[in-house]
Amino acid sequence: MLSPAEFAGLYHQHSRAVYYLALRYLGDPQRAEDVTHDVFLKVYRKWNDFRGESSWRTWLYRITINHCLNYRQSWNARNLVTNADDAVWENAAARTESPLHILEAKELGQHIQKTLDSLSDEYRLLLLLVADEELSYDEIATLTSQSTDAVRGKLHRARKAFAARFHQTD
Amino acid sequence: MKRQTKLSSEEQQHATETKAQQSSTVQFATVEEALRHDAGQTDVPPAVAERLAQSIRNLPPPERSWWKRILGR
Repeated sequence: MLSPAEFAGLYHQHSRAVYYLALRYLGDPQRAEDVTHDVFLKVYRKWNDFRGESSWRTWLYRITINHCLNYRQSWNARNLVTNADDAVWENAAARTESPLHILEAKELGQHIQKTLDSLSDEYRLLLLLVADEELSYDEIATLTSQSTDAVRGKLHRARKAFAARFHQTD
Repeated sequence: MKRQTKLSSEEQQHATETKAQQSSTVQFATVEEALRHDAGQTDVPPAVAERLAQSIRNLPPPERSWWKRILGR
């Protein structure tokens, strides 16, 4: 069993990353709270399953992604889903190379959420993972069950799609 | 002279507004940079830790392993 101090340290170090991934992936603050709670409760109960083959952060992300995917699948089953057409944004020529700017700092979260919501689940997840400097491309590939080359290629397209969409929603 | 004072006042206000606007404008070179900045501004609601602590308190005590039960430890 993890000691209370060890568990508190783990929570302190990683809870923001877990919460942020869930929040921006699902776009629902209440659900992100639920996921964060469930992930850390699972870690508390199942820490023996952690074999040390990956970092704590990677293990936590794996659990978080599974929770998020389960939620998305159950939500999609209940609601009509229109898939975001990433190709439209990948091929958008306008302003994808210019810096991303936004007038009000306080609006950044809303703007990012709106942009991420317009992308496919896969692109959204890849962008959120690559934004975490603690993760390597290899770890992202493992977490998303694909090759590192595939991750690089998709990230290139995902960045373009994000930038085009971000500017479009200015 | 009065008009001059009025213009100066307007200009001053405009300058102040521009400065305030500039200070609240953010710019990012990459998508990752924007997401990291956003993540840094996003705090975990304190309710999560409170709820987690309550859930842990409500967990049943861990079962003793079979060898501890056999040896009565």
